[in-house]
Amino acid sequence: MLKKSLAVVLALVLVAGLLAGCGQQGSQQQGGQQNKAKEIAFTIGAEVPSLDPQKATDTYAILVGHHIFEGLVRVHNGQVQPGMAEKWEVSEDKTTYTFHLRDAKWSDGKPVTAYDFEYAIKRLLDPNTASEYAFQGYYIVNGEEYNTKKITDPNQIGVKALDEKTLQIKLKVPVKYFESLLSFISFMPVRKDFVEQMGEKFAADADKLLYNGPFILKEWKHEQELVLEKNPNYWNKDAVKIDKVTIYVVNDANTAFQMFENGETDWEYIPAEMVEQMEKEGKAKYFYDGAEFYLQFNVKREGKPWLANENFQRAIGFAIDREALIKAVLKGVSDPATRYVLPQLAGLEKTFAEEYPYEFYSKNADVAKAKEYLEKAMKELKINDPSKLTFEYLTDDTQRAKLTAEFIQDQLKKNLGINMTVKQVPFKQRLELMTKMDYDVVFAGWGPDYNDPMTYLDLWVTGGRHNDTGWSNKQYDELIQFAKTTTDFKKRADAMFEAEKLLLEKGPIVPIYFRKRAWVCNDRIKGLVTDFIGATFDFVYADVQE
Amino acid sequence: MVKYILNRLLVSLITAWVLVTIVFFLVRLLPGDPFLSEKVTPEIKANMMRYYGLDKPIHIQYVTFLQNLLKGDFGYSLRYKNRTVNEVIKQAFPYSADLGIRAVIFATIAGVTLGIIAALNRNRTWDYLAMFIAIVGVSVPSFVIGPLLQYVFATKLNLLPVSQWKGFSYTIMPTFALSLGSLALMARLMRASMLDVVNQDFIKTAKAKGLSPFQIIWKHQVRNAILPVITVLGPVTATLLTGTFVVEQIFAIPGLGKFYVLGIQNLDYSLVLGMTTFYGLFLIAANFVVDIIYGLIDPRIRIAK
Repeated sequence: MLKKSLAVVLALVLVAGLLAGCGQQGSQQQGGQQNKAKEIAFTIGAEVPSLDPQKATDTYAILVGHHIFEGLVRVHNGQVQPGMAEKWEVSEDKTTYTFHLRDAKWSDGKPVTAYDFEYAIKRLLDPNTASEYAFQGYYIVNGEEYNTKKITDPNQIGVKALDEKTLQIKLKVPVKYFESLLSFISFMPVRKDFVEQMGEKFAADADKLLYNGPFILKEWKHEQELVLEKNPNYWNKDAVKIDKVTIYVVNDANTAFQMFENGETDWEYIPAEMVEQMEKEGKAKYFYDGAEFYLQFNVKREGKPWLANENFQRAIGFAIDREALIKAVLKGVSDPATRYVLPQLAGLEKTFAEEYPYEFYSKNADVAKAKEYLEKAMKELKINDPSKLTFEYLTDDTQRAKLTAEFIQDQLKKNLGINMTVKQVPFKQRLELMTKMDYDVVFAGWGPDYNDPMTYLDLWVTGGRHNDTGWSNKQYDELIQFAKTTTDFKKRADAMFEAEKLLLEKGPIVPIYFRKRAWVCNDRIKGLVTDFIGATFDFVYADVQE
Repeated sequence: MVKYILNRLLVSLITAWVLVTIVFFLVRLLPGDPFLSEKVTPEIKANMMRYYGLDKPIHIQYVTFLQNLLKGDFGYSLRYKNRTVNEVIKQAFPYSADLGIRAVIFATIAGVTLGIIAALNRNRTWDYLAMFIAIVGVSVPSFVIGPLLQYVFATKLNLLPVSQWKGFSYTIMPTFALSLGSLALMARLMRASMLDVVNQDFIKTAKAKGLSPFQIIWKHQVRNAILPVITVLGPVTATLLTGTFVVEQIFAIPGLGKFYVLGIQNLDYSLVLGMTTFYGLFLIAANFVVDIIYGLIDPRIRIAK
């Protein structure tokens, strides 16, 4: 008996011994990391699928790309700053841009030229590149035509390097946000000889890319970490204070948060279940990430004419208590969407919301108003019983989507007596059902592609690529068309505001919330900027103060 | 024996072919397509489908796929652009294998030990304790054990790093979390098998011959009782070595596990097929090796074959 007990004890001691021995090693490493100056670390939630500027699409590629590449301009804290282009001129009709490039070098020492930009933009639009974000180049003369194979000669595209230092871009129509758009990853320069030399392997690893941004990618251990180092060749290197950045790939949000708590990283998103505690400790910070979520009605749905009824749509919109939804499902992190256009988007001088304040829906449910709209709708539809106005609510298969659906279901039942069923499907399937218009009402979202209300508004024009609602309104189309072609930016903003009001009053869209993210940041980090377009975290000019 | 091995090899190959064929067509039946996204337009999607050859008729895609497969080429990932599935597997597999080998070794040693202790102390405290550990191991999932370990050993006691894979100290918690289930399985198998063997005639003979209890247990009882454990060792090894989603996710280990799930989520056809083929071949190979080990341990099996 004694012998047997001894065996168990020995086994346990062996395991315990392993635990103790390595603990020291681990804590030493952590200690060492904290002492080094001007080094920062953070996590991203997934591997970067591609750093090829013309093929990248996801938020992590955009974040990393913002720091290792530089376009003609750089957007920092919402402001357009000169980048590779030192200065530029815009023609009278606001459709021709002439950029003058500064002396700048690629990470292999060769100069960055206007030809690199011309090549990159043509590469973006080349149908054989198969770039998902090619549409970002559709503003350029013949950009869309070339990408959709209506023309085959790339020389007809409105981008041309006049010499090594001068680049000319011609647009189809004036685009107010074109400068800020040029900071988007799709427009980052790439060098022809290098891309061709690398072939299919271009951008597959750290040594298969060239860099011209504030940092260079020193190491890329796939699925594990990316190491960035300050670029000694960067033209504005004196303004860059950080020497080294380690970006860990950590899929699990709770693990990532524990790494922050252990001092291994400098900032992190707060998992939903930790928000209250962090708020209590006074550590929680918030920022808008640009995403908006709304209900979208299929107005062409057979057998359910109420889905196309404007008053029915408004009834639903007023019956939902947005504030209570955000509190219950999102732990209070997000803002009720009482209008359609994301309030932070740029207006003429200030934000669009500051220049055009408006509230269509209220933060809380307005049951009286909702019932009024419902009465009108039922009269128009000649239906007496609201429980007959059923519909299926399509949403993703995540836990958060489920809770949101249940909350809305409950509100509609309680406030209007309307029965709604919930259908949860995987993300890609939801997109497919939307594209095929095989749904009643869908909980959908949109993130801005550029800093202008148009990124939300032009979705709903007749025949719009993303208009999966079947909705068509001549007045709306005209307003958008006017806004897209006029050179008078004040009139343009007025038209967009009219369009927004029209959409809220008559359109198939019921805004629910503007998403906010809760995060924590180490006090030693200064000058870190969050942005709702482009790089979520911008540390180009950040600093470390112990 | 040679004929038997060749026969088994042929069956294995047919199994593998049936497997990849079924998966090839099933994955294409999933709703949606790889390039569906919120922003993509039909024209741009057509460009992407053409680029990856997905616009061709399905039977041509299938033939191309088989031709490439024979060359060991799984093709380019549709999601991780510029990277082939072979590269993805080559990069991630060593991490999964490293973790898996540790877990298999730990699970086998600890599981067999627990099973032996439990059997020798049948219905006594040690038996109950060992079986309690086994039941906990089977019933508590790794997504509970993992964060719990992190909270206690990393956040509270500060003994071990929270996550990642950079040295021995980083391996302890994930190895434990990953091995717990298999450990429990082996402990229960070993216990049952030991109790089965203890009533056999040859044990009585050994006792009658006056062998020491140690010799009886080691030479006769354990050696005969370990066969069921060896049987499960094949699939367990294949499963643990080729990566596990939850443990790798929780401990941020850059292994293969996540690709099974992400491949499906992203409808990354080539990645799903590559992973399935890889795992399938691995499982077949592992079973094959087990058969051979079987023969080595039990001469009766060798002769029968």
